[in-house]
Amino acid sequence: MSRLYDLKVLIENKIKADGLDAMAVKGKIGLRTGKMLAFINPDTPDDPETVTKLRQAAKDVLNINA
Amino acid sequence: MKWNLIRTKVLAALAACLVVGVGGTLVLMQYSFARNSQALAVESVSGAQKLFTILETREISKMTAVSESLIVNSLVRDAFAARDRNRLIELTAPLYSRFKSQGITNWSFYTPEPDAAFFLRLHNLGKFGDISMKRFMVDEIARTHSIVAGNELARAGFAVRILRPIYDARGKETGYLEFGEELGQFIHAMKSQTGDDYGLLLSKKFMDQQAWADSNAVWNRRDNWNDNPDFVVADKTTATESIMRFQGNLAAVPDQGKVLERFRDGNSVFVRGLFPIRDAAGNVVGAMFVVRDISSVYAAMRRTQNILVLLTVVSLTGGIFLVLTLLNRLVFRRLRHIIAVATRVVGGDYESEIRVGSDDEVGQFEQLFEQFRRVFVDLLAHMPELQG
Repeated sequence: MSRLYDLKVLIENKIKADGLDAMAVKGKIGLRTGKMLAFINPDTPDDPETVTKLRQAAKDVLNINA
Repeated sequence: MKWNLIRTKVLAALAACLVVGVGGTLVLMQYSFARNSQALAVESVSGAQKLFTILETREISKMTAVSESLIVNSLVRDAFAARDRNRLIELTAPLYSRFKSQGITNWSFYTPEPDAAFFLRLHNLGKFGDISMKRFMVDEIARTHSIVAGNELARAGFAVRILRPIYDARGKETGYLEFGEELGQFIHAMKSQTGDDYGLLLSKKFMDQQAWADSNAVWNRRDNWNDNPDFVVADKTTATESIMRFQGNLAAVPDQGKVLERFRDGNSVFVRGLFPIRDAAGNVVGAMFVVRDISSVYAAMRRTQNILVLLTVVSLTGGIFLVLTLLNRLVFRRLRHIIAVATRVVGGDYESEIRVGSDDEVGQFEQLFEQFRRVFVDLLAHMPELQG
């Protein structure tokens, strides 16, 4: 499994735990990352730049340190 | 506050408009207020001057009419022609007490030139036979032998006077008749009509100290000749001397008068000014000071100013509120909706649509963005990553 997918799962769990509007939150993170979360699956290759952006977006939007 | 937002910039611009608008209104109102106050002050002085002129003209007309009826009275005419002083007193003394109550304080008969002596003074029966002091009006009637009118100082005070010839039954000039009304009493009549305070100041340059002393003796008044170096106070309607405070040359006061100051006393606002008084020869021999209470007009002007400023603030604030509300409804709220829909689409909500509210500029953008969203969603539907 890729680091990108791990991050995606972490984000989805956090959204579910906090009862947030999943589409709106995922949209914000996707826009900040420059990649739709729907396109990330276990086989998605880890692009370091995308990983960094997704981690930062998760911190900015959900305040989670991944 | 985020300065990058259009809303913040618009709000700042509108706030600046409010400050400039209110500031401008205040400055304009202050300017207008100062001008109106000055106009009111000028009007106060010119109004007093007009009233004085009206009174002066009216009194001259009155004295002319009274003297006219007197010189055609054959009894009076014959008694004067016969130089029968006792008979003249008998005929005129009852009239004098009535004339005096109507303001005619001075009444004299003169013999003609070359001596031009006082034959009878109704206001000072014990004094007669003396030669008239050097006076413009006496010289003028001796020159023209016709009626002369004007203000002049004589031994019975500074008065508005008329001097006219008297003729006997054969039409021969037998002397002169003089009526006079002290100018000092004018200011009391003016005060009773207007409520304003007045003071009459006379320049010593045109006055004779002995004449002034004589006139004060006639009317049992204190001789105030030495109170001021250059002027004497003929009369005033207020106890205070400050009404006639003046530094300068009376002769330089313009004919239309001059506003000296606007001042406050407690809650009241007053204007003080003066206008010149000319004698029969045309010399500026003194000045009439006027103090008018303009509190009510002043307060009304202030109230109008405050209402206008308040209206400006309210209308500008209302305008700002209206502009912000319109901007919020027509632009910002719809832009927020577009951002929310775009975000949700990226988040995977492909059913979220943009509502096109109108066909204005933002509506055209909404329509364009909605079309773009449909193309994007259609594209996503064909992406292999999303099909698995």
